[in-house]
Amino acid sequence: MDIFLQQLVNGLTIGSIYALVALGYTMVYGVLKLINFAHGDLVALSAYIGLVIMMQLIGVVSSKAVIIVAVFIFTAIIISIFGVLLERMAYRPLRKAPRLSAVVSALGASLLIENGIMLIWGPMPKIFPASIVPNINWNVGGVYISLMQLLVLVISLILMIVLYFFVNQTKLGAAMRASAIDQDAARLMGINVDKIIMTTFIIGSSLGSVGGLFIGMYYRGIYFNMGWIYGLNAFVAAIIGGIGNIPGAMLGGMLLGVFNAFISGYLSSSWALALTYVLLIVIMIFRPTGILGERVAEKV
Amino acid sequence: MMNNKQKILYGAFFLTLLVLPFVLNSRWESVATTFLIYSAVALSQDIVLGRAGMFDMGHAIFFGLGAYSTAILNTVYGVPILLTIPVAIILPLVFGIVLAAPIVHLRGDYLLVTTIGFNIVFTQALKNNVFGLTGGPNGIFGIAAPSLFGYSLSSQTAIYFMAFFLLLLTLFIIRNLETSKIGRALHYINEDSLASECVGINTRFYRLYSFGLSAAIAGLAGVVFAVQFSAVSPEAFNFMQSVLFFTIVLVGGPSSIEGVLLGTFFMFVLPEMFRQFAEARYLVFGIAMILIMIWRPRGIWPAKFGRIPKYFFKD
Repeated sequence: MDIFLQQLVNGLTIGSIYALVALGYTMVYGVLKLINFAHGDLVALSAYIGLVIMMQLIGVVSSKAVIIVAVFIFTAIIISIFGVLLERMAYRPLRKAPRLSAVVSALGASLLIENGIMLIWGPMPKIFPASIVPNINWNVGGVYISLMQLLVLVISLILMIVLYFFVNQTKLGAAMRASAIDQDAARLMGINVDKIIMTTFIIGSSLGSVGGLFIGMYYRGIYFNMGWIYGLNAFVAAIIGGIGNIPGAMLGGMLLGVFNAFISGYLSSSWALALTYVLLIVIMIFRPTGILGERVAEKV
Repeated sequence: MMNNKQKILYGAFFLTLLVLPFVLNSRWESVATTFLIYSAVALSQDIVLGRAGMFDMGHAIFFGLGAYSTAILNTVYGVPILLTIPVAIILPLVFGIVLAAPIVHLRGDYLLVTTIGFNIVFTQALKNNVFGLTGGPNGIFGIAAPSLFGYSLSSQTAIYFMAFFLLLLTLFIIRNLETSKIGRALHYINEDSLASECVGINTRFYRLYSFGLSAAIAGLAGVVFAVQFSAVSPEAFNFMQSVLFFTIVLVGGPSSIEGVLLGTFFMFVLPEMFRQFAEARYLVFGIAMILIMIWRPRGIWPAKFGRIPKYFFKD
């Protein structure tokens, strides 16, 4: 039972990181119907940029809390700028082109960012400084929860709740949902779709940057091509929940994290990756629209 | 069929390929051989992706199945290479149909994601040494050279001509496919699958057919690949490799033979030429992929179909 609860906590932690990254995929898919393959690499880039900012601040500012808050804010701003640039340069010129051209452009952007990271920071892994988050563990009924895990869980939860209310309660959120359903109709209603798409990229990239920083601070080791594997896993999470569906991405991320943790804990970690994708295939065969996705009739 | 311009073009292309092994040094001869093999795989990927219009991003599976069939049969059971060819064609063919059967009805992106899933499961199975046959992460070494009537075909030039024959065979099959009932059916399904179903085309049958055919060609290409390197490893058939074939077709021009050949040159031979720039070349390649798609969204050398007046095309 202890192992079960411990794996559940570990799974929820990594699951909420997946969920944060998955939101970026699902929101972009919602408005552009495009799998943004470069999103995972933006996540990796955010870990590197966060590390640089952190190392700059560590000597100057003494309060660790201030450092962490500053790192999150500055990284989110920088990655949002990258996200907007990505959309401008690689996706906007292709909005009227065949669907697959945009996919290739996304793959090109991914290659560009990944190798850019390697040229700047080198192919060797970088290590986040230890104890930037104090290494405190609580023993709750035999289950260990670290301060880092608690931070990941709480911050992710707050961000997701804020996002949920933003999308469902605000005017901008309504415009975003309208653009996702029908861009032309949204344009006729006076919505500036370009601006909405830009907002989507800003929000998606910022959430992704938080995810990337969590990966760096939780696992500590970051490497230039980690965007692919975290990106793909998060993408699977988005699909499990139902792509284009925001609560779906949150649920999918949590489920995938817990699933992964249980596989690694009870079966074998060498099959964890394969089983993740078996799960994906099974969902694709039996319920391609995901757990929370609506059944959409094929467009004629 | 072919106009004069095309005849001259293909003539020059084949003549160049015939002369190449005698003017290149061994490193470039090996690159040229791999170019021929990758062209065949990319052309087979194009059957599914370009002609049938299904977003398949897991084509390396079938390429790998062919290569691994040959490798396992040869190193474990001592079967001569040429006798492994039927297995290396039939196994991928069966897998292609069985894997595609439950998913061919999926819409574009969903199919793409599922095929990515298949490919990752495939590579993970190879890495985890499934059935104790695949040799784990290092793969299988020491695949014998094929021999024909007692002559060992182990020289680089002999393997080059095997790859050349593979490409000729692939081109012959695709040429026939283009002008056959099946090819027209695939083209129609690609343009509008609902309309094609309404006029009585069995879309499911033709989609599975295209998967089977392309898997079989990729499997045969896998044999030549295994012979060329006399080794196979999971890394040669991973998801990134599928992305490469996928990109080759789209950068070159879907359902355009010339386009796919150019795409293979662009995505495989050019990076080899710029080897001295090491990693920086992939950065430039990422930019080039974006720019090509912006300037030529239908590929460098897009396909042309018949003499249909321009106003029939949607923009």
